[in-house]
Amino acid sequence: MRFPMKIVERLLEGVFKMSSSITSIVILLIIIFLFKEGFGLFRSPVVENGYGLYINSKNPIADINPTQIKQIFDGEIDNWKTIGGNEESIYLFRFDEIFSIYTDEELGENYQFLPQKLNNIIAENSNIIAFFPKKYMQEISSNTKEIATKNIEITDFVLGKEWLPTTTPSPLFGIVPLVLGTLLVSFLAILIALPLGLGVAIYLSEIASNRVRGIIRPAIELLAGIPSVVYGFFGLVIIVPIVQKVGNISAGETAFTGSLILAIMALPTIISISEDAIRNTPLALRESSYALGATQWQTIYKIVIPYASSGISAAIILGIGRAIGETMAVLMVTGNGAVIPHSIFESVRTIPATIAAELGEAPIGGTHYQALFLLGCVLFLFTLILSIVSELISKKQTSKTA
Amino acid sequence: MKKTIILTISLFCLVLNIKAQKIKGSDTVLPLSQEAAENYKKKNPASAVSVTGGGSGVGISALISGTTEIAQASRKIKFDEKLKIQESGNSLKEIIIAYDALSVIVNPSNKVSKLTREQLEGIFTGKITNWKEVGGEDLKIVPYSRETSSGTYEFFKESVLKNKNYKSGIMSLPATGAIIQSISQTKGAIGYVGFAYLNTKVKTINISYDKGKTYVIPNITNVKNKTYPIVRPLYYYYLTKNSNKVKGFVDYILSPEGQKIVSNVGYITLK
Amino acid sequence: MIRSKNIQQKIAFHIFRLLSFGILGILVWILGFIIYNGIQVISWEFITSYPKEGMTEGGIFPAIIGTIYLVIGSMIFAVPLGIMSAIYISEYASNQKWVRFIRIMTNNLASIPSIVFGLFGMALFVHTFGFGDSILAGSLTLGILIIPIVIRTTEEALKAVPESYRLGSFALGATKLQTIKNVVFPIAFPNIMTGLILSVGRVSGETAPILFTVAAYFLPKLPQSIFDQAMALPYHLYVIATSGTDIEASKPIAYGTAFVLISIVLTINLLAGWIRRYFEKQNSI
Repeated sequence: MRFPMKIVERLLEGVFKMSSSITSIVILLIIIFLFKEGFGLFRSPVVENGYGLYINSKNPIADINPTQIKQIFDGEIDNWKTIGGNEESIYLFRFDEIFSIYTDEELGENYQFLPQKLNNIIAENSNIIAFFPKKYMQEISSNTKEIATKNIEITDFVLGKEWLPTTTPSPLFGIVPLVLGTLLVSFLAILIALPLGLGVAIYLSEIASNRVRGIIRPAIELLAGIPSVVYGFFGLVIIVPIVQKVGNISAGETAFTGSLILAIMALPTIISISEDAIRNTPLALRESSYALGATQWQTIYKIVIPYASSGISAAIILGIGRAIGETMAVLMVTGNGAVIPHSIFESVRTIPATIAAELGEAPIGGTHYQALFLLGCVLFLFTLILSIVSELISKKQTSKTA
Repeated sequence: MKKTIILTISLFCLVLNIKAQKIKGSDTVLPLSQEAAENYKKKNPASAVSVTGGGSGVGISALISGTTEIAQASRKIKFDEKLKIQESGNSLKEIIIAYDALSVIVNPSNKVSKLTREQLEGIFTGKITNWKEVGGEDLKIVPYSRETSSGTYEFFKESVLKNKNYKSGIMSLPATGAIIQSISQTKGAIGYVGFAYLNTKVKTINISYDKGKTYVIPNITNVKNKTYPIVRPLYYYYLTKNSNKVKGFVDYILSPEGQKIVSNVGYITLK
Repeated sequence: MIRSKNIQQKIAFHIFRLLSFGILGILVWILGFIIYNGIQVISWEFITSYPKEGMTEGGIFPAIIGTIYLVIGSMIFAVPLGIMSAIYISEYASNQKWVRFIRIMTNNLASIPSIVFGLFGMALFVHTFGFGDSILAGSLTLGILIIPIVIRTTEEALKAVPESYRLGSFALGATKLQTIKNVVFPIAFPNIMTGLILSVGRVSGETAPILFTVAAYFLPKLPQSIFDQAMALPYHLYVIATSGTDIEASKPIAYGTAFVLISIVLTINLLAGWIRRYFEKQNSI
């Protein structure tokens, strides 16, 4: 009887041990999947998959970058000279235009003459830039050359200032506006939430009677329990019009609106953690302060707050982490304009909102899909760093207490 | 506790059941498919057509990856999407189920009631920024757009902006309902929505595609006699190998009864 | 001098009191807004019928059921794993480095934004494992999301059991497993329950992780298997508030959905708080 019991014990211990490593495995898997999908982006060509950009071989231009391609196809650059070529206006040629030049008969039943016709058009126009499927340009003749054949580079992603993930011929995946938008909204939210949260934490831990505490503490727990989509709905219907009216601005969907909602959402985290930190201040410290004739308030802001400062900073960092990752509420109230923010009363687009809004529509395995996974990696790294920093800080706090 | 266990077991037992039919994709087609699915179920109680939105792109990629039977789209399938389906050894069936007139809307307090295509291009690419430049009051223009890969976004870009990009940082809202909501709240706002979404909270703009000679308002007559310029077909896509599976529902939506739903929802029937 | 000190204190404390009641005010405002608008829509029919007339009428029954399925599914996955790992960490592990490593990993997992779980769930469960958009994929994604909560609360509950109880049990000749099963776990159970209830609240309110793993806009009947899609309350609220052809007509439905969602989540939270306080009192006696 004793013997099988021992086996069961050993077995279960093994099972327990295995399940304890589950979180580590999950994190590992997240890293593998996010980064595997994400880094595929840098193995994808600049120009939309399956398509090529072709110019006349007399054109001295050797290569152009994605931003230039976008400007050319938007008509912002209309002369080859602007990007270092000859003094010649640019002739834009999109694939569909071939059907307005030639009839279907001229192109052949299975479009077998199409490659030839395309080739002719490029050969005849020295100022052309043509955009069409690669399969119609199987053998590159001496009249044409393909440009922008490089892959997307890390610098295009990290330093790019425009996020236009579906633009043709060449999508732009610059994360600068998204990162700045995310940081602006999160920091602003903490800036609003911190004085509020700290005030409440002090009130709850130092001043409030037990009865008042018994009302406010559950209220804060409830505030933490409200789902973010409800906050978003509330923001959309109530806060957005208020911000617009009070601020007298043209649109109510702004970074500021997002920050207000995020501030409310971050409050419970900030309050509960700073309250803990304040409570942990040793009684001896307070009593010596009183003994020197300090009032309760002087003791709080000269002794207690400095002592609890590392705990409070941990609260701030956790709050920022929470705010950076918040998705639904922000998606619903910030207007999602992907532009580098100049003021807090402009629309911003955050990283999580971008993922939530675009992932469903991005073709699986395409560059857009990969770019969104890369955004996920960025978000993951942000929160990882923040959680490590807050851990280090709270460790400092515990070692001080001990 | 016991109940949970029973529920779990029954859940797992049901795994063996047949999968329900799925429609996925464009938010523009969503209300139409949803109501059609609702009525189709009344007629065929055994049917189970589920409807999910997300955008035209999501529908087509789901079709490619085999997670949906029908992709609903408010734009034509893209060249490389078609290639992917061919690569997987399947062929594609395209059905036009209805037409939609893309309507340009502003806040009801706005005095401007007509715009040319060129003016619209200027507004959405960011070259025109004040209403007084197009005959309105001195007020900043706030253009609202849809998310980057919705079919509506791409069709508007093709047809109105002549393939130019929207001004960078244009506000893009996750769904059409949100655009209506924002435009009804924002004085200087302008946006574009499917015909079915129009309501009294927003004002519809007359559009001219001939440099201001004639302005046309989107309504059923103008779409049917082809005078309104921004009209697009709405599509269902499915794989030929699934034809039998989806036939019942597709036939239903093309039938007179189905087309009645089309006009009920606010789109334009095929005939 | 002393006067000014006291005045300063008075002002500061008044401000803090004001802030605290301000927070109370915010809560009342949000809840009041949802409840005031939602209660007019709520009826037995609203809770038990399907959406009708293009989501502008009818009820939200499938969304409620979908949320219940997702809660059950994610708990089936997360609860045993979470509790077992917590037991290992607090009762077995002798290697402190290993424990610290796991704790860091758990904390990190807890701090990852929910949308990243959505991404991950989509890549792994929906595509790589080929589950498609399904209750299974959604439950697994949500399960991973709450594992850290389950681990942390269970661990704290186990730690709160006095060491002397364990020693007493050992002294009576019980094995480690017997001690855990008969002594430690029963005492820690109420606190573990609190943690589980809190994670149910979290699961029922999350939107981002289910966007790409399970959520459906409209289903004509309830999901038949774990490979079917499901509607869910938070996603339903998001869709109703932003999509739909007649946003004004569907607004009452949105308020009603928000009301039901918030009632569920808040009841769960209050219940958890109540259980915790109840046992805190018992323990202190």
